[in-house]
Amino acid sequence: MSRADNILASIDHSTFARLISKSNHLVIATLQIVHVVGLLMLLSALLLMSLRLLGATLEQTPVSQVARLPTRMFWLGVTLAIVSGLLMFIGSPAHYFYNRAFDLKILLLLAAVTLQLALFQPLAAADSPPPGLVRLSVALSLLLWFGIGVAGRAIGFV
Amino acid sequence: MSTIADLAERLQDTGLGPVIAESRYLWPIIEGTHLLSLSVSAGLIILTDLRLIGAFLPRVPVTVVLRALRPYVLAGFTLTFLSGFVVFWSEAAVVIESPLWTLKLLLIALGGLNALYFELVIGKRPEVLANRTPLPRSVRYAGLASMTIWTLVIICGRLLAYVPR
Repeated sequence: MSRADNILASIDHSTFARLISKSNHLVIATLQIVHVVGLLMLLSALLLMSLRLLGATLEQTPVSQVARLPTRMFWLGVTLAIVSGLLMFIGSPAHYFYNRAFDLKILLLLAAVTLQLALFQPLAAADSPPPGLVRLSVALSLLLWFGIGVAGRAIGFV
Repeated sequence: MSTIADLAERLQDTGLGPVIAESRYLWPIIEGTHLLSLSVSAGLIILTDLRLIGAFLPRVPVTVVLRALRPYVLAGFTLTFLSGFVVFWSEAAVVIESPLWTLKLLLIALGGLNALYFELVIGKRPEVLANRTPLPRSVRYAGLASMTIWTLVIICGRLLAYVPR
């Protein structure tokens, strides 16, 4: 077995992993629900901030005011999704690790988080950001995060 | 009740039903659209609910927030309902046998009625229109009810995925 297989196998055989995969289906179902709720939270928060940045809603209210709650909601959603995702991964590590859609999803996730921290949030906090850059950042962010949703859906189908 | 089952059976077996159910790609695309569209419909409606309970943009009048988000919420719900109907079409006979389905439908109806009641009654109260603080308690209750109902709808929907087909 390759080094990766060894690591995955030791995760899989751990007591913690058994707790997740061998226990009641309710555990996996709950993790999936938390995962979906986290995803929806972050997507809708992102959507609202994006609409405001594009001037398509609540134009009279300053961006910083509009973005205050959605930013917290966004990162809470990301946290819920990552924690539940990690637990599901630990429950069946090889199943996910060798799934092409899962690998793509993780790559997209890394890119999306980086973009959010390095570009989207600074632009949202800036006084008068260049509109072209704002539009680009919004487009990329939406593409990446919704792309993560699509890749996640594809996990069961590739 | 068996006539409903017969109708559902016929629906599932005709037109788009089998096309979706048997296609390798159409099913995940339609179902994925249904799920992701929830971020627009349920997500934005929950944000308006957060305004109603005073947790989001408390200094912006409720009427302003509602007016700003309503078109997107409605567009989102249109997409959610359309994609949801196609999903239902492909599995009608199987899914109506699950009590989760009945519960989901009831909750959607309840959510719709709650929204309608707010639009037609609570939202028309002079205190709300004038944005007098504190807002009437019914505003907060409507927001909490809406958040709860739509979250439960989503949970039912997720659990329905485990119904054997």
